[in-house]
Amino acid sequence: MVEFRIRRFNGDETYWESFEVPTRRGMTVLEGLYYIKENIDSSLTFRASCRMGICGSCAVKINGRPKLACETQIASVGNKIILEPLDNFTVLKDLVTEFEGFFAKHKAVKPYLIRSDVSYEEPKELIQTPSELRNYYIFTLCIKCGACYSVCPAAATRDDCLGPAAMMAAYRFCADSRDRGEDARISIASKDLAVWRCHLAMECSEVCPKKAEPAKAIQLLRRKTAVNAIKSILRW
Amino acid sequence: MPILDWFKFTNRSVYSLAFAIQRITGIILLFYLCLHLIFLTSLTDRTGETYESLIAVTVSKQFLLFDILLVLCGVSHGINGLRVIVHEFGFVYEYRKVVIGFAFFLVIVAWLYASYVMYCLVGG
Repeated sequence: MVEFRIRRFNGDETYWESFEVPTRRGMTVLEGLYYIKENIDSSLTFRASCRMGICGSCAVKINGRPKLACETQIASVGNKIILEPLDNFTVLKDLVTEFEGFFAKHKAVKPYLIRSDVSYEEPKELIQTPSELRNYYIFTLCIKCGACYSVCPAAATRDDCLGPAAMMAAYRFCADSRDRGEDARISIASKDLAVWRCHLAMECSEVCPKKAEPAKAIQLLRRKTAVNAIKSILRW
Repeated sequence: MPILDWFKFTNRSVYSLAFAIQRITGIILLFYLCLHLIFLTSLTDRTGETYESLIAVTVSKQFLLFDILLVLCGVSHGINGLRVIVHEFGFVYEYRKVVIGFAFFLVIVAWLYASYVMYCLVGG
């Protein structure tokens, strides 16, 4: 038996509740949550979907660190599991947090290929070499789980801070050889609550369950933004 | 209070610890800078007596511990700041663990050496 100690929120107050969960080898924290919901307390609320570390829905704080509940085995955590909703997000109920603002920030950086020569009548292949792919591949691994945003000290102090995931998405497309929308994204990234707000605590890269290196993307985007600013000053 | 998140480093990596240290040492150095400026106002006394009397108090064995701690703040803030600047330009990011280890090593070496020099200067 493992104790699940969960920080709950019912809309009015926050309180802690403990549950005893029988475990078996290989059982994940998410399976433990499902056990509680199905057998002990059906009012327990959490977000989950794919159960295989792809959708990023089940990111919660497990013993103080943001992790995917579906990818964390109970045996690797210990006999007492403390679960909390992610920091820097508004809690809606129990472990479910508000993600609307997070996705709005992601959308704001135009996370798609921008080209002027797209024709659906006569589509053409956009060829890319393996080395061009390697320039941004690692940044495509983001699953928008919000773990990086929850540990970002800049996001902790300002709600309107763009956050690591959105800035990584911006750099991912800026570094893509097929994209032509760099100027549009740089103008968004050069605002004070974007790349210049990053304090380089690098915790976002440490907690990323996909090892997507958001801190590196932000610094590379910062360099691109700085070069762009110097060029615009010199009218080059 | 959200700003307290700047000083949160339990369950976090060594980078968050370095970030918290950078903030704390920065605040201490700012406080010291204010004291230093107040100290320098004693120079307005043309006879130099006020300055000499303050120097007699602060450059002493009793104050050595505070000076050593101040140097630790200055050295760690400076070296850690250089590490941050290097990474902020997108360089050696992949070697960040080595870089932070080397930075902390430099902090210890520089701090010990400076402490030894100060100890010798006050007649230890």
